[in-house]
Amino acid sequence: MFLTDNVQNDTDRCGKACRQGHRMTETVPEPSQPVMEARGISKHYGAIVAIDEVDLTLFSGEVLAVVGDNGAGKSTLIKSITGAIPRTSGAIRIDGKQAQIDTPADAKAAGIETVYQDLALVNEISITKNVFLGREIVRNDWLGRFFGVLDFKKMDHEIRTLFAKLDVRITDIYREAEAFSGGQRQAVALSKTVMFGKRIAILDEPTAALGVRESKMAMQLVGSLKDHGLSVIMITHNMEHVLNYCDRVMVLRLGRLVAVRDVKDVDGDTLVGLITGATNTDSDASNTEATA
Amino acid sequence: MNPVQDNRTPGSNPGVAKGNLDLLKHNFLQIWQVLAALAVIYAFFYIMSPPFRSFDTLLSIFGQASILAILACGTTIVLISGGLDLSVGSIFAVVGVATGIFLAQWNLNPVLSIALGLSIGAGLGALNGFIQVVTKVPAFIVTLGGLTAYKGLAEILASGRDLSRFPDAFRFLGTGNVVPVIIMFCAAILTGLFLTKTRLGNRAFAIGGNEEVARLGGVPIAKSRIYYYMLGGLLAGLAAILEVSKLNFAMPARGQSYELYAIAAVVIGGTSLFGGRGGVGKTLLGMLIMQTIIVGLSYMGVGTSYQRIAIGVIIIMAVYWDVWRKPAR
Repeated sequence: MFLTDNVQNDTDRCGKACRQGHRMTETVPEPSQPVMEARGISKHYGAIVAIDEVDLTLFSGEVLAVVGDNGAGKSTLIKSITGAIPRTSGAIRIDGKQAQIDTPADAKAAGIETVYQDLALVNEISITKNVFLGREIVRNDWLGRFFGVLDFKKMDHEIRTLFAKLDVRITDIYREAEAFSGGQRQAVALSKTVMFGKRIAILDEPTAALGVRESKMAMQLVGSLKDHGLSVIMITHNMEHVLNYCDRVMVLRLGRLVAVRDVKDVDGDTLVGLITGATNTDSDASNTEATA
Repeated sequence: MNPVQDNRTPGSNPGVAKGNLDLLKHNFLQIWQVLAALAVIYAFFYIMSPPFRSFDTLLSIFGQASILAILACGTTIVLISGGLDLSVGSIFAVVGVATGIFLAQWNLNPVLSIALGLSIGAGLGALNGFIQVVTKVPAFIVTLGGLTAYKGLAEILASGRDLSRFPDAFRFLGTGNVVPVIIMFCAAILTGLFLTKTRLGNRAFAIGGNEEVARLGGVPIAKSRIYYYMLGGLLAGLAAILEVSKLNFAMPARGQSYELYAIAAVVIGGTSLFGGRGGVGKTLLGMLIMQTIIVGLSYMGVGTSYQRIAIGVIIIMAVYWDVWRKPAR
């Protein structure tokens, strides 16, 4: 349905592949336009290379899983493309156009909404204020213009409409976020991506802190993001979620992209093998120095 | 199949949902607890000391609390935003001396003098915030530096000058208890409206609660912080102007330790020192508790040294309470 595995890796990263005599050409036609293309994303912390020349392509209306062992660079990759941390190198195109994304605000302006792991909500403030944090609605009169007086009525209305649309059953939206369960908090964070995300939702382990039942509910909500016109990138450790809810999966190992697969072409064992390095990947030859 | 459900039974009225009531109880208990503490303390002195019972005493408690309470409004904003300003006592001194110069030496119009004094307070506060966001030196250190530096500035400005005998139009502000108390309430109400109704004020809670989440949410942290320190300085300046008016002289030694009394009032009132929680109403109550104790002990003939010990004990008790109740949330 989408690209087959090996394409992503080596065509653009000619340098290493060429040295290994591994040049591959892109033969599969693209069935759908990429919403986001990130090329050669690297992040160095001094001499330490957290991610190295990673490419990422997100197609319209898909859920792309990013998997990898701890320290593989998943979160670093996400933060590098959303402007949460400054990247060392790499370029991002949104809808085929070059996008300058250097701060979280740039990413939001480009239509990208991100739910960071453990950093989704401020405990001390209400659900309303969390949802509108950084994008509060001010009153449309002189009080709003000169003093930034907030339009609570309008924000209240918009949140209730949104929650009704997504079937999120939280009514006491003036309550502090800390009063809610992990599943409810995640639901609020995911709803936020629907409210503000024009193109892309990026989720860093949306089920990390959740129980089995709550995970399932959260994943259903992730699935419904597609229905609201969002393309989704999701970091996860849960292979079942990859297989059940995602369209494609990209595997990172030690800061490098080692495989991109259609989910229908893989099973859990293959994925685990790709993550740990037990299964041979198309680019393993070029990665021998990293895995040795 | 609902993706997310809370534990409420369907059909219950959301407006009076159980969760809401719990929250109201939770929030109101805290401010009621402070109010109850104030009532108990007031009742204690009421019983112990007959002269304490007069209405004039009550008014003088408010009057004496007013200047520090205005300063503490600013401290409340800064603490809620997760900041700290130890230099407001020295800003107080600078503004007092500067306003004195404007009035007694330059013979400026009182309104202009007040406006200039307030601007200096706001400017010095903003400078504290600016240095912090630029250098990334912690608030404690930057404002500790400000504490001594601004004090020095106040001494330089005041040296060799007689800063007293101000025009009546200016003296009106600090005369008696009524006008200062009205100004205190105005300052507190405006601060409260700022914190609860405006975008910038609401962001103080978010930044103080979790700065990283606020940053990732797109809140301009540095700019907001500078504004909070600026307001802290502005309110310190207003307090200084009131005191200069009341005393009818200005000197650089005024304002000493006021930052600590302000922090004490904020803490006794129940605003978290860790940021993200609190309110100006609580600060007002905290300040009234302190002043009631001071006035009450004076009426009972207890000396100022013992009063200070009492205040110290209250501060520790209040913080113990804040820390102790944290895990329960």
